[in-house]
Amino acid sequence: MVVKQVVDVDAINVIMNKFFLVLSIACLRVSLSYAQQNTKDSTQTTYKKKVLDAAEVDFLFSYYGQNGKHSAVGGGIGTEKLTDVTPTIVVKIPVKDDGQITADMGISAYTSASSSNINPFDASAGASRSGGFYYGDDDEDEGRGRINNPTGRANPYYESTGASRSDALKSLNLTYSHSSDNRNTILSFHGSLSTEFDYDSRGFGAGITKLWNEKNTELGVKGQVYLDQWHPIYPTEIKSYYEAGGNLNYGFFNGVTITGNANYSPVPGFQFPQVTNRNSYSVSVSFSQILSPKLQTSIFFDVVRQEGLLSTPYHRMYFSDRPASFIEDYQLADDIERLPGMRMKYPIGIRLHYYVNEHLTVRSYYRYYFDNWGAEANTASIELPIKLSQAFTIYPMYRFYNQSAVTYFAPHRQHVSTERYYTSDYDLSAFESHEIGGGFRYTDIFQKFKIASFGFKSIDLRYNHYMRSDGLNANIISFAAVFTL
Amino acid sequence: MRLRLSMIFVCAMLLLGSCTVVKEYQKVYINDPDMELGPNKADRFETNFQVYREAAAGANGGKTGGGCGCN
Repeated sequence: MVVKQVVDVDAINVIMNKFFLVLSIACLRVSLSYAQQNTKDSTQTTYKKKVLDAAEVDFLFSYYGQNGKHSAVGGGIGTEKLTDVTPTIVVKIPVKDDGQITADMGISAYTSASSSNINPFDASAGASRSGGFYYGDDDEDEGRGRINNPTGRANPYYESTGASRSDALKSLNLTYSHSSDNRNTILSFHGSLSTEFDYDSRGFGAGITKLWNEKNTELGVKGQVYLDQWHPIYPTEIKSYYEAGGNLNYGFFNGVTITGNANYSPVPGFQFPQVTNRNSYSVSVSFSQILSPKLQTSIFFDVVRQEGLLSTPYHRMYFSDRPASFIEDYQLADDIERLPGMRMKYPIGIRLHYYVNEHLTVRSYYRYYFDNWGAEANTASIELPIKLSQAFTIYPMYRFYNQSAVTYFAPHRQHVSTERYYTSDYDLSAFESHEIGGGFRYTDIFQKFKIASFGFKSIDLRYNHYMRSDGLNANIISFAAVFTL
Repeated sequence: MRLRLSMIFVCAMLLLGSCTVVKEYQKVYINDPDMELGPNKADRFETNFQVYREAAAGANGGKTGGGCGCN
């Protein structure tokens, strides 16, 4: 049996070696043909079209709303109600004939019931009474209360009005791209900044795209680095426990009635995360090929490495081997989410687009994903743009997604305190989801309509409904209007 | 093994690269805006929320992870 396995491995190695030999020859051939064509193109270039004729401005907007009952802040239970509004402006400016600068600026303003329960005791004795006791916390706001909560008691299924209930993510992305004279080589560089209350990000990257085979074939390679920084906020009872030196008659806990296990403490040996940065490094390879006058495909392959604080510091954990303590109806956390400090992600996707006729196009996509945390996922989607006229297009779509749980996931109170890593975040659980929706697009091909000096080019409006098998539902409305200057 | 299979798949598609040549004058359908291989402008918002709500990300020409407190 062992001998057979050795033989099998040898056979696979021989096949792999042959395969890579064939691949090397093929790549050499492609490179030679590319070089020949490049020479031909460079000698024949007499006129080149600008990469971008005129400056372009995109006004984008989205409204997103979700609801669910598996909040990660509540350790796998509680409201997940969230709304997010994201206005965005994208400006593309031509730089001479060959270059283009793209500035992408957006604000994502959200209100989250789940985040509000980082401090669910905002109207309780304790948190609201302790005044300046908290420093650097999110719960020092005025006018605390509870929303749509008939019990008037802290409860994971109702949101509170602490400062963490709402926040805005502000982002700026700048990209410069430059095309060669024959338009067969495109270089791009980008930098990005984003900030919100507890998270900052700086990113940069570069990419190169090569076209050959009379622009039938395209290969792109892109590298990106994100250097992110958490400014962690923690569940209010854990933070307060250590601020009070573990004295349940002091500070936040003074005068508060703790029910269940009245002698509350976080898990023995609790430590706040020592590492608060999160770095992401990715290499993306894309390959596109025209297969026939009506069919083309594209393959994407990414390798992503993330390291640092990959858990979310305000996600609560509850253990089955520890007694439960409550303030009102809210259970006090045993610990915060703990996840490994490194994650490797490997997604591979393929798009296949087919032009059926002048009225119908089929856009299909499939992705397989796996990572070293044990998650595997499949994504399949189809979109069918239907041209009603030269100007109007409607596009119904459907997307299916499923994933297995990461190794470290267990539902509410099913982990034990002796484990090293744990999460009750249902975004990392096993589930499947269905997304259905559609939109319409109006294109003014002659750009006759103008607003001030902006020539109207196109408008897109889209609505999608998302259903996840764990009960989470979401709606998203997206809008995009494109103008030229 | 899965990584190796993925690499083989990518390489196989690379080999496919030089098989077909559709001339510029034959690209009227390929150049239709609906045939564009990238995502639509409005797709970015959907991709963004999916990155938060699902474990998988990337391989769609968009976000690969990083730059947000997402999964």
